[in-house]
Amino acid sequence: MFDWLKPNDVLWLIPVAPLLACLWIVLVGQIVRRQQAHRPVILAFAVSFAAAVYLLTSVVPGGFGTAGEHGEHARASSAIMTTIYQWIHVGGLDVAVTLRADAMSALMLVMVTSVSLLVAIFASGYMKGDPGYPRFFASIALFVFSMCMLVLAGNFLLMFVFWEAVGLCSYLLIGFWFQKPSAAAAAKKAFVVNRIGDFGFLLGVFLIWTTFGTLDFEQLFGSPTLIQAAFLQDPTVLTTICLLLFVGAIGKSAQFPLHVWLPDAMEGPTPVSALIHAATMVTAGVYLVARCTPFFVYAPTAQMFVAGIGAATALIAAITALTQYDLKRVLAYSTVSQLGYMFMSLGAAGAGLDLATHAVTFAMFHMFTHAFFKAVLFLSAGSVMHSMGDVIDMRRFSGLRKVLPITHITFLAGALALAGFPLLSGFWSKDEILAVLFTASQTGEHADFYRIILGVALLTSLMTAFYTFRAYFMTFWGEERFPAEAGDHPHDAPPAMAGPLFILAAAALGVGLIAGPTHLYGHYLEQTPGLPEAHAHAPNVLMMGISTVLALVGIAAAYGLYVRSPGIAQALKRGSGPLHHLSHEGLQLDWLYLRLIVTPLRLIAQLAERFDRCIIDVIVDCVGFVPGLFGAVLRPIHNGFVQNYAVVMLLGLVLGLVSVLRAFAGQM
Amino acid sequence: MNATALESQLIIGAILFALGVIGFLTRRNLILIMLSAELMLHGVSVNLTAFGKYHGNPQGQVFTIFVLTIAACEAGLALSLILTLYQRRKSLDVFLWGNLSEDDLPILSGDSPRSAMQPMTDPNANFPHLTPAGRAPLSPPRKT
Repeated sequence: MFDWLKPNDVLWLIPVAPLLACLWIVLVGQIVRRQQAHRPVILAFAVSFAAAVYLLTSVVPGGFGTAGEHGEHARASSAIMTTIYQWIHVGGLDVAVTLRADAMSALMLVMVTSVSLLVAIFASGYMKGDPGYPRFFASIALFVFSMCMLVLAGNFLLMFVFWEAVGLCSYLLIGFWFQKPSAAAAAKKAFVVNRIGDFGFLLGVFLIWTTFGTLDFEQLFGSPTLIQAAFLQDPTVLTTICLLLFVGAIGKSAQFPLHVWLPDAMEGPTPVSALIHAATMVTAGVYLVARCTPFFVYAPTAQMFVAGIGAATALIAAITALTQYDLKRVLAYSTVSQLGYMFMSLGAAGAGLDLATHAVTFAMFHMFTHAFFKAVLFLSAGSVMHSMGDVIDMRRFSGLRKVLPITHITFLAGALALAGFPLLSGFWSKDEILAVLFTASQTGEHADFYRIILGVALLTSLMTAFYTFRAYFMTFWGEERFPAEAGDHPHDAPPAMAGPLFILAAAALGVGLIAGPTHLYGHYLEQTPGLPEAHAHAPNVLMMGISTVLALVGIAAAYGLYVRSPGIAQALKRGSGPLHHLSHEGLQLDWLYLRLIVTPLRLIAQLAERFDRCIIDVIVDCVGFVPGLFGAVLRPIHNGFVQNYAVVMLLGLVLGLVSVLRAFAGQM
Repeated sequence: MNATALESQLIIGAILFALGVIGFLTRRNLILIMLSAELMLHGVSVNLTAFGKYHGNPQGQVFTIFVLTIAACEAGLALSLILTLYQRRKSLDVFLWGNLSEDDLPILSGDSPRSAMQPMTDPNANFPHLTPAGRAPLSPPRKT
């Protein structure tokens, strides 16, 4: 389109615009026009979004393939790269700050920048009047910069740097209201748990360098020769690399057993939850595994592990979400569960090489649609919270659909998409994942394993529909009840908040339809270099039917339990007793971690502090005591006694004389 | 002159010098300290003269004359310094000048020099006064 504007030129613009906005606010915006801090950020995000859209149209020469073409077009197109700065050049390690964009990056960037833009507009209304307003927008801008750089990173080390950076921004944003002890604790927990995953990631990066001698994506993924040679030399090293990289993804994308930070992260402001913990940061793990597909295709064991962890996570999170009372917690556990879905799909590639590209494609597609419908759900929850005076406990309000019509419509759109209602975005993406799992369970090796995974996926989709609509009915149906903090008449979302809600709701409804059955998304993504050849893919009608039935059954069950006869829900809760408690507490994992890990570590820390204070400090004090001893010995020389000085003079004279006489005697 | 006689003369000089040293180190009166320093000089002069006699030339005695001259100048200087010190503390006690020490050290002299810092009663009270003689001075006597 713009021939004079090559994609290379705008590549750096995507991350740099939010960075400049952040710097502007940090340097100037803390003092000048504090309540206008949203303007540079929204402008920067709009610029990034425009650049990302331009990148989307230009990174793939073939553009969007049509639905009729089959295998030939899925050829690797060369990725666009820009090297900004030669960072490390030591011995065998050669790492440059390189931005690399291909089809996968372009799609991811469009998702990140669009959701960021809408969330920033929403936040300018939601956070109005908060004393930390500029700090919020500076942190959000820094986060989007880090996320864009993570997606655009051209080598593993750069990706790791920004992997950590998004963790840092998540810490800053979760602990935004840091005076609240629970928020500060949640931020610390998120960062520490992420760090555990980062440790695995770093070990994986080290192993990659030891095995291949390079960390660059273009060299590793551009041509398959390097990886093939390493596989022939030692088949297990690739499995180890993949498992270690996946540990990083477990931490960042909140999979079992490191998922405990995400529900607590709801202490942050709701726009933060929408942006970071629904659409962007937690998808970094999915992006990593998808990017490393050329590694994973040589490690079916690792892929099975990925699918297994994804299934376990999806199940655990769905069980926990069934009994939560906090609306944001329900959505948080739902995010964890949907991320488990994405990893189940990524792991399904272990069934066979021909399934790999489809598995990756549909995982990324689900991530794409999930970003939009989860963001709209979170932002609607934020709007509810805003109207109810920061109360988000569902037991304290109900019947909001008459009072908050805009929020009601958008929440309903997101909930239907999440539950997988037919023809909406969630339906298409979830159905494709179920189709992939079905194919994996029929053909290829490890069919039984994938059959179990498919069963878990179906069960989880039933529970998803149920708990989503349980939350919906508890909030918006029933008699009208407002908490005391809401004031006299709760007001619906102001325009700054309503606009993004509508746009995201439209996306939640329509994106799947536009990109799914027409295979636009799939054909675009298949042109990522490094993905194996893809074959044609017919829609799986059986899975479509089953998922539709499950979604409708879940919605109907929730309607029956929470609208028709609420008494049954209470009776079930009483009847199930310990099961309900187990589910509510997240299967007691937090309790377990506290007993097994946190308390021993705290004891060790106290022990170390005691040691430091009583032993090391005493040694240092003793060392400091010795000069005092010397002084005490020498000090009495100065006693002020005048004749004492005369004695000393005499002694000095005598010594001098004696030495002179001895010298004379020696000479003679 | 034989060595025995030299030896005995040197011993006398040494005794004088030692007495001067002991007096210098143990006396409490500033003038007596100066006196002991002069005694040291006398001992050295005896030493010089003995050696001059021993070697048979007058160099020893000539040097003694020098020493006496220098001693006179030095006595003048010392007395003026002592006078200045006296004007400060109104006493010739050397213990009064012993306060340049650490605060936590014990007091080494017998009776505490700290307490000696307070001047005693007017030291001129008990001293004899000469009767005025000759012409009255042109300026009235200075009150000390």
